[in-house]
Amino acid sequence: MPSDRYTDVALEEKQRLFNEVKADARYESYLYGCYECGICVAACPSARFYDFSPRKITQTLAREDVELFYEQLNDDVWNCSQCFSCNRCPRQNSPGGLITIMREVAVKNGLRTTKEALAGYTRIIYKIMTTGTQVSPDMLQEDAFPDWGPQVKAVSENLDVWRRVLPPETLHTTGLSWQVEERTMHELYAIWKMTGCLDMIGELDEGLHDIMEEIMDDALEESGLVAE
Amino acid sequence: MDSLDVRVNGTKVETSRKFERDPETVRDEDLREAIWELGREGEWIVQPVPEPYYLAPTKYGRLKKIPLEHTWHHKSCGQCGHIPGYSTSIFWLNRVLGYDYFDPRDQTSCTAWNYYASATSNQAAQAAVAMRNFSAAYETGYFPLIHCGTSFGHYKEVRHELVHDAKLRRQVRNIIEKLGRPFVMPEEIVHYSEWMYAVREELATRRQLDVSGITATVHPACHYYKLQTGDAIYDPEIYGGQRTAAVTGVVQALGANVADYSTWYDCCGFGFRHILVQRDFTRSFATLRKIEVMKQEANPDVVLTHDTGCVTSLDKSQFAAQAHGRNVGVPVMSESQFAALALGAHPFRVTQLHWHSVDYRLLLEKMGIDVDKAWSEFQSDVDKVKQGEMEYLTWEHVL
Amino acid sequence: MANADTILIVGAGPAGLEAARTVAELGKKAILVEAKADLGGTPYASYATLTPDLKETEASMKHMLDAVQQNPAVDVRVNTRIVKSEGALGAFRVSLSQESKETVEEVGAIVVATGFQHFDPGRETQMYGYYEYDDVITLVDAEKMFKEGKVVRPSTQEPPEKVAFIQCVGSRDRQIGNKYCSKVCCGIASKQSIEIKRMLPNSKVFIFYIDMRMYGFWEDQIYWKAQEEYKVNYIRGIVTEIIKKGDKLLVKGEDTTMGRPMEVLMDLVILSVGMEPSKGTIEMSRIFQIPREEHGFLQVVGGPLDTVSTPVAGIFVAGAAAGPKDIEDSVSMGAAAAAKAVGVLNRSALHV
Repeated sequence: MPSDRYTDVALEEKQRLFNEVKADARYESYLYGCYECGICVAACPSARFYDFSPRKITQTLAREDVELFYEQLNDDVWNCSQCFSCNRCPRQNSPGGLITIMREVAVKNGLRTTKEALAGYTRIIYKIMTTGTQVSPDMLQEDAFPDWGPQVKAVSENLDVWRRVLPPETLHTTGLSWQVEERTMHELYAIWKMTGCLDMIGELDEGLHDIMEEIMDDALEESGLVAE
Repeated sequence: MDSLDVRVNGTKVETSRKFERDPETVRDEDLREAIWELGREGEWIVQPVPEPYYLAPTKYGRLKKIPLEHTWHHKSCGQCGHIPGYSTSIFWLNRVLGYDYFDPRDQTSCTAWNYYASATSNQAAQAAVAMRNFSAAYETGYFPLIHCGTSFGHYKEVRHELVHDAKLRRQVRNIIEKLGRPFVMPEEIVHYSEWMYAVREELATRRQLDVSGITATVHPACHYYKLQTGDAIYDPEIYGGQRTAAVTGVVQALGANVADYSTWYDCCGFGFRHILVQRDFTRSFATLRKIEVMKQEANPDVVLTHDTGCVTSLDKSQFAAQAHGRNVGVPVMSESQFAALALGAHPFRVTQLHWHSVDYRLLLEKMGIDVDKAWSEFQSDVDKVKQGEMEYLTWEHVL
Repeated sequence: MANADTILIVGAGPAGLEAARTVAELGKKAILVEAKADLGGTPYASYATLTPDLKETEASMKHMLDAVQQNPAVDVRVNTRIVKSEGALGAFRVSLSQESKETVEEVGAIVVATGFQHFDPGRETQMYGYYEYDDVITLVDAEKMFKEGKVVRPSTQEPPEKVAFIQCVGSRDRQIGNKYCSKVCCGIASKQSIEIKRMLPNSKVFIFYIDMRMYGFWEDQIYWKAQEEYKVNYIRGIVTEIIKKGDKLLVKGEDTTMGRPMEVLMDLVILSVGMEPSKGTIEMSRIFQIPREEHGFLQVVGGPLDTVSTPVAGIFVAGAAAGPKDIEDSVSMGAAAAAKAVGVLNRSALHV
């Protein structure tokens, strides 16, 4: 039974979001039906740590229970580890894949809980979308990873010279994981634009979207790449 | 065959039963046939695995072609960014074996880490990123070799979607053509740890250090064998062919012991978003479910794995747990780094262990490496770079 | 049309035995062909006792074996295989091979009763370690021990303190390709749990299941009996991994009534392996050109209203060759197939 946390949201809105999830091309190969065997939960790392159950999410979608779906869309999906251990489901469901789709819908619709879940994450989105590499060496900062011990500090203090003593020529970088050609990055920008990913960011973080759009539009203009 | 008993210690099955595969019951379509068929229909160019290749057994008994050389190294953002000895060791091993390879700059990350963490992307974008990289590899004439377990798993997923969804295929093809690139699907999607498996005997013959006194536990990466399960290496000699042989096969070939533990199948706790913004989960899972269990049941000298995220979460999570007096403290690295060390690679110039958190000194000493000497050699490189005597450390310095 | 009085029955398990007996009782002749050396089929070869009555298989089935072996109208051929078939209803010419001697028999109709084989856990999509650990066994392995009057951990030969059954191994699994329920495994596991408790009253026995499927009288005869009289623990939730921890087996699953992951140590794990069409059944499909239905078993044409007629005129199927069946169904089908085979021969004789 759903709680009363989201009674202020109209049923039509919950139904609309559910329909959006269901319309994803992958949905029908990710969900067949659930006989509650619990194999997904037994294999799930998040279920051991959180009050989280890939079985319940799958069953909720199978039952088309839009109230409970909306609650899970807000409260549960960001606990998933996306390890896909649950793919061993004997019904061939992919609970992790369903969660991927639900997360996409949550982002595209700029849900408040999604903004909260991704609040600390926007600098990484910026990094990956603008550079094509996700974690750069210069992100290893003591204040960002205080629980990783003194070695993080050693890396950040010696970063420039430690990158130079790496034999592969492509790794002498600090702001990128490796040297990425300009043209390569511009092609990536074109992909983000043509597939609507940049628009998705607009719902999540308008400021971030505007900065990235400016960078990407300038670059695309310069490179002459068509991104429509 | 006397040494066999030692080599398979821990992965030898405790039963005389032997699984005989019945060809009539092989499940799962062979995607590769569909890939060639789409190639014949002009839907895409199929890039064949270059010769010479190794034929490795996979989960359902099919053989997978693993290229030995002419490989295009699809690097990992997390490896190159935070554990650069990982990628460096892969390259170093290629050089030691004399295999021709290409380290591209026209390569982006697969962007799947971000996708699995934040969902700020979509199916078409992910497929386009993959196909752009495949296209870039094809244009160099080299064959993609994927360094990251997540990239490997995600690309297998993308390949599955592109084969089965004509609409998606058209959409992505259109994007790739707008970028002015050919639309290419490689014949096989190959992970570097499969290449390691393919060359394990060659590695063994070039081994410099005796590692028979080393006990390792192996963490198999979820995205290596749980996404698109059929396409992963399973060797009848390892766990009776019932668990993936990636990593384990290489470590045993080098003569080290692989010990089993009861959370072998568990995830490392990386979580994609968790490792960055919700690390209480990652720390707890990595230490309580993995490292502590390994310590208690196998007391390994080292944890070996084959993925970016797994090395990161298993290594970095131990510091806080150690501060709380938990039973942790096992160095973590990739099997490529371990193999490089066994073949005589410099622990800092090549395997770059100073980027790792858990103390690795005991392990290195047990392998017969003079850690202080190695560190001072590395420091002298650092000094030379600082003083402008040397711009970069190069391959000539380490081979 | 002398040969039209003869009906060939392939497979001498419960279905084939009953078919042969019925043919003889209805005044026709039967050739009963069995590939193995012994009659009685899979239950006779592999099961110490029968479900649901827990009676000894050999004693229970003796009258069925006697009925064919001592019957002049039944020509029993063991160690014999079918290699070829030509002709049609009323005049099939079937080549048999017995110890490399080939003969051709002319028969009017055929009953295929080639049964099932147990699922091989090496193909399980979960990680049950049947090919890694001796203490993970199947229902069949357990019956072998029961035949010797014991239940022990194979690794130590000591009696187990904790035993777990895992249901639906190889059944109800889209990834394996077996989308059907094997029907009897819930009953057999419950029967075995009672037998273990009888031998080892102090042991703890657990059955991990998705749905307990105990139709009709099996409900109180074995399910309630195991639960109420023998205190067998039924846990709703299936297991995904079995891995060694110390000298025990660590069993990981979800207790779905409690909604939490669970991990328990066991001494012995018994996999309730399901049914797949036997090699013989697949071979008969090829030789007699009988189509296989979507699960791979031999196809019947009448749905629930005719369980034995195949699409090939004059060829009938009985027992687990047509899909998962318990012994009750198999024996009923054996008699029904025999009656229909005799009927079709009588009708074709009238036409002539």
